[in-house]
Amino acid sequence: MIATASRCVPPFHDSLVSLLFSAALCSRFGGEAIPLEEDAILDLVERARSGDRAAGQRLYQQYVDRVFRTVRGILRSDVEAEEATQDAMLTVLTSLRRYVPRSGTRFVVWVTTIGVNTARRRFRRRRPESRDPDDLPAVTDDAIDLEREAENEQERRALLKALAELNEREREIVSLRYGSELDATEIARILGLEPANVRKILERTRVQLGTRIDALLNHGVKT
Amino acid sequence: MNENELARKWALLEPEQRQRRRIDARVRGWLDASESSLTAQWLSLIKVHPVAVLSFAAVAACLVVVSTPLSWLARAVM
Repeated sequence: MIATASRCVPPFHDSLVSLLFSAALCSRFGGEAIPLEEDAILDLVERARSGDRAAGQRLYQQYVDRVFRTVRGILRSDVEAEEATQDAMLTVLTSLRRYVPRSGTRFVVWVTTIGVNTARRRFRRRRPESRDPDDLPAVTDDAIDLEREAENEQERRALLKALAELNEREREIVSLRYGSELDATEIARILGLEPANVRKILERTRVQLGTRIDALLNHGVKT
Repeated sequence: MNENELARKWALLEPEQRQRRRIDARVRGWLDASESSLTAQWLSLIKVHPVAVLSFAAVAACLVVVSTPLSWLARAVM
């Protein structure tokens, strides 16, 4: 995938942003970026700090979808999640010099902390759930695709509706677990909780979400 | 619902292609603006719209030249 991304970048694009954008588009058409080992990530961070544009681009690719998945679980609309992702990724890319590696803490924890803080600021503005006309599912001509799209959309709505019924803390914890794929210790570090407490909330919330999603799917989801 | 099932459902919250394109474009636009100096932005404007920029500069110069005697005239009339 990384090789594919670099092939997609035109040679005349010499600015970080052009590289970043081209590679991001390549990522969408070629699937998600393959997760890198922590050592490789820290190497990219060091290189990006010293002005290596391709390294910045690869860091962006690694985390942009993960940040979106996480903040979407916390926020009330796709529009807010897009804005929060954009703000968070800008903060990550422009604050790399301030990142201090800590032993036993992955870089993703730092990125996710920025994502959660950005989402919190938006969440607390208490804007109602909105649905931009642009956010309607893309129309395809293929009937099978349409059916699958409809099923996925139904499940997605059920998940979002069930999430909306959780309190802020529970939403954050499950979003960090399933959106950012962090473990209980990492989540506890970000939210300032005890890992045992996080595990307990996770278990309870997972059961609650499962029950609610099943009920919504059985009775049809209304948004 | 177990861990894996919920993780699979969470994958549905992935950004769609056009959402991702919008995010990429905004991040790109912001970084582009922050990376280039004001002079560079003006120079790139000249490169993209040379006629419009030169016309604008000519009109601005004429206004500067004409406005001073006009203001004298206005004061004299009043």
